[in-house]
Amino acid sequence: MSYRDYIRNFSIIAHIDHGKSTLADRLLEKTGLVSERDMKEQFLDNMDIERERGITIKLQTTRVVYKANDGNEYIFNLIDTPGHVDFTYEVSRSLAACEGALLIVDATQGVEAQTMANAYLASNEDLEILPVINKIDLPSADPQMAIDEIEEMLAIEAHDAPQVSAKDGINIDVLLEAIVNKIPSPEGDENAPLKALIFDSVYDNYKGVIIYTRIVDGRVKKGDMIRLMATGKVYEVTEVGILAPGPVPFKELKAGEVGYITASIKQVADARVGDTITNNDEPTSEPLPGYRQVQSMVYCGIYPAGTEKYEAVKDALEKLQVNDAAFVFEPETSQALGFGFRCGFLGLLHMEIIVERLDREFNLSIVTTSPSVIYRVTKTDGEELMIQNPSNLPNMVEIAKMEEPMVKANIMIPNEYVGAIMEICQERRGRMDHMEYISENRVVLEYIMPLNEVIYDFFDALKSKTRGYGSLDYEFIGYEQSKLVKLDVLLNKELVDAFSMIVHESKAYARGRFVCEKLKDIIPMHQFEVPIQASVGTKVIARETVRAYRKDVLAKCYGGDISRKKKLLEKQKEGKKRMRQFGSVEVPQEAFTAVLKYDEK
Amino acid sequence: MMKNKNVKTTGVYVHIPFCVKKCNYCDFLSFASDDKTKERYINALCREISAYCEDKKIAADTVFIGGGTPSVLKPELIERLMKTVREGFSLTEDCEITIEANPGTVDEKKAEVYRDAGINRISLGVQSLDDDILKRLGRIHSRKEFLKTYELLRNKGFDNINTDLMFSLPSQSFDKWKETLEEIISLKPEHISFYSLIIEEGTPFYDEWLKGSLKEISDDDDRRMYHYASDKLKEKGYIHYEISNAALPGRGSRHNLKYWSMDEYAGFGLGAHSFIDGVRYEDTHDMEEYLLLYSGDLRSRKERYNVINRNTVKDNAEEFVFTGLRKLEGIYKDDFHRLIGRSIYDIYSEEIAKMVKEGLLKDHGGRIALTTKGVDISNYVMREFIKDEWKL
Repeated sequence: MSYRDYIRNFSIIAHIDHGKSTLADRLLEKTGLVSERDMKEQFLDNMDIERERGITIKLQTTRVVYKANDGNEYIFNLIDTPGHVDFTYEVSRSLAACEGALLIVDATQGVEAQTMANAYLASNEDLEILPVINKIDLPSADPQMAIDEIEEMLAIEAHDAPQVSAKDGINIDVLLEAIVNKIPSPEGDENAPLKALIFDSVYDNYKGVIIYTRIVDGRVKKGDMIRLMATGKVYEVTEVGILAPGPVPFKELKAGEVGYITASIKQVADARVGDTITNNDEPTSEPLPGYRQVQSMVYCGIYPAGTEKYEAVKDALEKLQVNDAAFVFEPETSQALGFGFRCGFLGLLHMEIIVERLDREFNLSIVTTSPSVIYRVTKTDGEELMIQNPSNLPNMVEIAKMEEPMVKANIMIPNEYVGAIMEICQERRGRMDHMEYISENRVVLEYIMPLNEVIYDFFDALKSKTRGYGSLDYEFIGYEQSKLVKLDVLLNKELVDAFSMIVHESKAYARGRFVCEKLKDIIPMHQFEVPIQASVGTKVIARETVRAYRKDVLAKCYGGDISRKKKLLEKQKEGKKRMRQFGSVEVPQEAFTAVLKYDEK
Repeated sequence: MMKNKNVKTTGVYVHIPFCVKKCNYCDFLSFASDDKTKERYINALCREISAYCEDKKIAADTVFIGGGTPSVLKPELIERLMKTVREGFSLTEDCEITIEANPGTVDEKKAEVYRDAGINRISLGVQSLDDDILKRLGRIHSRKEFLKTYELLRNKGFDNINTDLMFSLPSQSFDKWKETLEEIISLKPEHISFYSLIIEEGTPFYDEWLKGSLKEISDDDDRRMYHYASDKLKEKGYIHYEISNAALPGRGSRHNLKYWSMDEYAGFGLGAHSFIDGVRYEDTHDMEEYLLLYSGDLRSRKERYNVINRNTVKDNAEEFVFTGLRKLEGIYKDDFHRLIGRSIYDIYSEEIAKMVKEGLLKDHGGRIALTTKGVDISNYVMREFIKDEWKL
């Protein structure tokens, strides 16, 4: 018997809220290394934002020891995966580090869009999928329905799937035995040249970048010279070890094992997810398949607000980038907002997370501009431009052709909402590609949609129209020619470039009106009337007015109490700081995000 | 109304925190109290004044006894207070000595005592001449009592009387405001203050406003009442010299002007504010603490007073502007230069240009002043001058 026979490497995959983290907690609790007392709520998640949103953003991997009914101790490497469409590539790399996956399905909900998407990802990596029916403790649980759906929709045998309640700890023992018996042990040759997969990396102030890795072949230990095959960079290993989930140094990692490597690497962008690690002196001939450079799908401008310093924002963005290889930024200048940064994200959620972290972790006051996708513009002279900032769009007369990125959206909904969802898809220029009743009352809609419609408010609209039951997954499929125009917003007759957006011709009027109405509610009264206009080219297509306020005066000062008056003025001034000045118009920061939000009509 | 720069004189403020009953809109430091507390308070107050002055004999050209309602005190207490002030301060010959009075609390005796103690200016809290409104405000006096008191004061020889009026009051129509104002003007007081009601937190009006039983007058109506008053007063020979104050020529309140001109004033009594040698002080607001503090021997002022702020040059510049702009003649650029040591344009050129462009300030000759439009939104103008940092 090899040591590898006692290793099980697996991920847990699920639709959001199907209980992935709770189940992971329960598995850790029932195995070695973590005591019940140590358990925090949502043990695997280590960021505030994740806890609030109930989703996992960064991976955290844990090694535990399980003493099975056969009397042997097994090492489980539980590899956590992010749970959102924006992070599909990261999920696929985590899965590539495993031999199996637990597919959690909520016994009250059945199969959802992300269940399917994740199950497909797992089968693409040839993983053994072990279905698990969760939440059997709930009165509305219908395990048989979930089993039927898994078999019908995913073609995965599920009749003997463990039926558990992660919350109440029911049947966890059954599940642990199933992991031992159903998930294959890793293969590999510990005597071959080193070949290891980077499936995540985090930055640590003391150790530098900590690479999370799965050793496929060979061995690695402290002092080895390693080469990262995609970047070609060579480093000396300073430490190897296992994740428990914090790093615990080991002498060596070898084929089949999961652990970490540190090698004085300065930023996570140098240790890219999907890259292959090999030994520099005795390299492997072929890197592992599936490496892909991360491609930003959504861009927006991030600017210091009010009196916030440019340098402070730059520092914070750099710090975030150290730990998030998918986040990119470069300096840019806006006429309205001054010096700032154009930032690229995997998707809208990724963008929201970064913006929230700037606020929460760095206490920065920032303004974000309308998110944009990358448009492909062909000029009349044949030059091709990739435009991510609406302000950089050439003059319309110089444009021969504009193309926009398209996605295939996979939408899963209860059948009673089909009409409503088809409507919002059509409103967003979606073309139905496919529609299928996957069970009696559940429908999958496949739409080809422009990405810019998806990032705008589609997910909010979907959730709102289906009372939270709809789910969405999408993938980029290519560029398509489209009739696009640049929609500008003018405040007090001055163009505010930060509000400019590229929209489809057919949507310009409605969007223009919506933006004007929103801004009218948000912009405070000034001492003069503030006209708000939306325009395409020189044509004004919508208009609102913020009326002037008449009075802001303190009638009396009290017995020489100047400090009271001063405090009042200072307080008002403080409020003003949260405003952004455009010409003579003050605009609160929330205006920039509010114009993007879905409005239930 | 420039001050004489050669002789340094101070203003004296004395706070009397007592009243018969608190009005529904009032958030001043005042309350009803018993005779014994009043007496103990005057004792402490006199000690505070004496201790401050020691034997320095500081020159003072204004004295203001404010409240609360100083006229609720027995006349002997005012007599004693004035005696103490005169012992501590060397009052100039033309010293303006004001006492605030509620029309319902002044009688013949009090008027005579005030006059004989050298008080030469009376500020009457009239607020309105409509009995329904007075009741709604929680005032203790009636229209008739005011008229009687006014006549009494004139008969006793007071030739410098202020009347405080309020507008934008709940259920006050424009016509009612007009009636009150015009009737007051017909009496020809030397000075008229007219304040727009501010609903302050912690007052019965505020609670009513939260519950919705008190409706605020709209900003448009408020401004209409204000500008009507300003125009009417000017028409009748008054000079509208400060946002909320108008006076016959030469009768502006010299004491209050000190507040708007970065002049010194020494304040005594509960919660009283002082501005001395560039430092702002505030006395305790706690009556028990105050009485205790001034019950024994006092060593130095520094230990007794609560310093709020040692003004920096930046503080001085900001305060000079935002207090000075309350005066409708505006601020003198020379005064700024003298006080701050730099031209006002070194520091505020952008702000001034912006406000002038928006039609809220006028900058001509040696002065910068609010325009009529600027008065209405003066807070907006003033806060422009509060800056995070100064560019050098």
